[in-house]
Amino acid sequence: MTVESMIGRGRDAIDMIVEDGSFHENKIGDWEAPADLGPGAVVGEARLGGRDVVVIANDAQAFNERFPVVYFGVIGMEEAYKMAKTVYRVIDQDADKEIGEKRPLVLIVDTPGNGPGKIEEIFGMNKATGAYQLALAEARKAGHAVIALVIGRAISGAFLCHGLQADHILSLSPEFGTMIHVMPITSISRITKMDIERLEKLSKENPVFAAGPEFFYRLGGVDELVENVEDMGSAVERHIGEVEAAKLSGEPDASGPMYHGKLGEERGGRTVRLPVIARMREEFAAVAGEYL
Amino acid sequence: MTDQDKLSGKSFYEATARERARGLVDEGTFTELCGPADRMSSPHLPVLGEAIEFDDGVVTGVGLVGKHPVFVISQEGRFIGGAVGEVHGAKMVGTFGLARQMYERILEEHPDELAERLPAVVISFETGGVRLHEANAGLLAHAEVMDQIQETKGKFPVIAMIGSKVGCFGGMGFVAAATDVVVMSELGRLGLTGPEVIEQEMGKAEFDSADRALVYRTTGGKHKYIMRDCNYLVEDSIASFKEALADVLSKPYDEIVKNRRIGSEELVDEQLDLVELSCEIQPKDARDVWAYFGNEDPAGIPEQTTEEFLRAAKRR
Repeated sequence: MTVESMIGRGRDAIDMIVEDGSFHENKIGDWEAPADLGPGAVVGEARLGGRDVVVIANDAQAFNERFPVVYFGVIGMEEAYKMAKTVYRVIDQDADKEIGEKRPLVLIVDTPGNGPGKIEEIFGMNKATGAYQLALAEARKAGHAVIALVIGRAISGAFLCHGLQADHILSLSPEFGTMIHVMPITSISRITKMDIERLEKLSKENPVFAAGPEFFYRLGGVDELVENVEDMGSAVERHIGEVEAAKLSGEPDASGPMYHGKLGEERGGRTVRLPVIARMREEFAAVAGEYL
Repeated sequence: MTDQDKLSGKSFYEATARERARGLVDEGTFTELCGPADRMSSPHLPVLGEAIEFDDGVVTGVGLVGKHPVFVISQEGRFIGGAVGEVHGAKMVGTFGLARQMYERILEEHPDELAERLPAVVISFETGGVRLHEANAGLLAHAEVMDQIQETKGKFPVIAMIGSKVGCFGGMGFVAAATDVVVMSELGRLGLTGPEVIEQEMGKAEFDSADRALVYRTTGGKHKYIMRDCNYLVEDSIASFKEALADVLSKPYDEIVKNRRIGSEELVDEQLDLVELSCEIQPKDARDVWAYFGNEDPAGIPEQTTEEFLRAAKRR
């Protein structure tokens, strides 16, 4: 077993996951992503398991000269819209294809955040990250298998943007230094004014609070931990198959965020979510007639 | 003066989540669902020795605007800044499910009256996004809410109301962006990265979070209106927000969704052009952008009343 950190190695990960030499950067069917757009996001077509897939990855080595907040994997406005545009192109190009023939989207996740900056706020970074999420949700509901694989950092809003809208979410196991969290303990302590020692103790055991893929696994936010980099490609391929089978079953919410909510209940990590939703349904049933 | 009259005149900015929820729908029609009596509170806060609220900082329920069943989510900034934890998030998600149920029922029972009975989800935002005390559960709830918004597309509208003290930031900033219509007052603030976080990440020179005027110029209702990130700019009263809601609901669904800023390839292309424009203008301040869009006295804009502003403002 090889244990080497994949942090900052989004491009390497693409090569390790897809068939040798099959990745064509910026090529999405008959559409070509502009070469200079959003360098922090890498998009393109590749072959995996004998079929075409579309890869969307972070490039932590890239620096966006037009938007200096974008480096080390940050998703800026250009990056997020480039990712969204890619997804919409794929949906449109495969509109007439059946589930199983539509190209899967493979998200390779290694991002510390969304662009924080004045220009970003003036022009609306919230729209950029929202746009990409809506595009992914649309692709998922249109029948594309969307698989995310966390290879390095999946932090807070950037993970929501690039990862948490997937049908299935995989993560390299903690030995790889994979980081999934909202905020470092030191910052949480400063903002919430809670005692850092207490927080540190909790951070080792409490899944709603602790940092790391194993805790997200318990909450149902990660489907499977991948323990070997050599297995990344086959794991993604296997999950594409599982997701397509789930979609073909026709059962609602058989994958995606709502499925992950159910998984969180099953794994004992999120136990109040379902009772709350059930209570609302019950109370509404008693009054629904008054609103018709 | 009836209870509703008192509510209507009340400042939206000062109002509690429950007052906003009741005041946004027709008098006496609001039923709270999963309210404080249910005591569905956070199981995670007591572990940290923190106080709980029996509604977990969000009021959810259903009311009527005319014949439209309106499903309301109203966040309470007085409780941990309106931040989203497991229960709070589940209440948001649950509300969308009920709206969908109602939509299906109307389709079945009143197919000829779908337009006048079309349901809506209204979110009165007052939040900084994820609740750090139960951060992972809060984060996952955000993804569910985004999924639920996409699920409404092509069916019924989701409308954002932003004009409360805390504003709408963090993950809820993109939830608001993903809705069909955004209504704000000039006191409303909308963004992704909160002012303090930008200052911490980028330094005081890039962004001084204590500079209130700067924060409003960058994230406030007037700016968002000029950028067309806000569709309706209204006075700071519950009645004004309700009036905007009634106006939205009086329109056909196909008209309503023209207010969207994102959610299709065409809109993403439009936003990409705007990003390109940001490179050309290289604004040092939102005022530079206002001037670019043809506002002759950008420095005077913050001083204008909402009425004066709406009369004169040049938008993107």
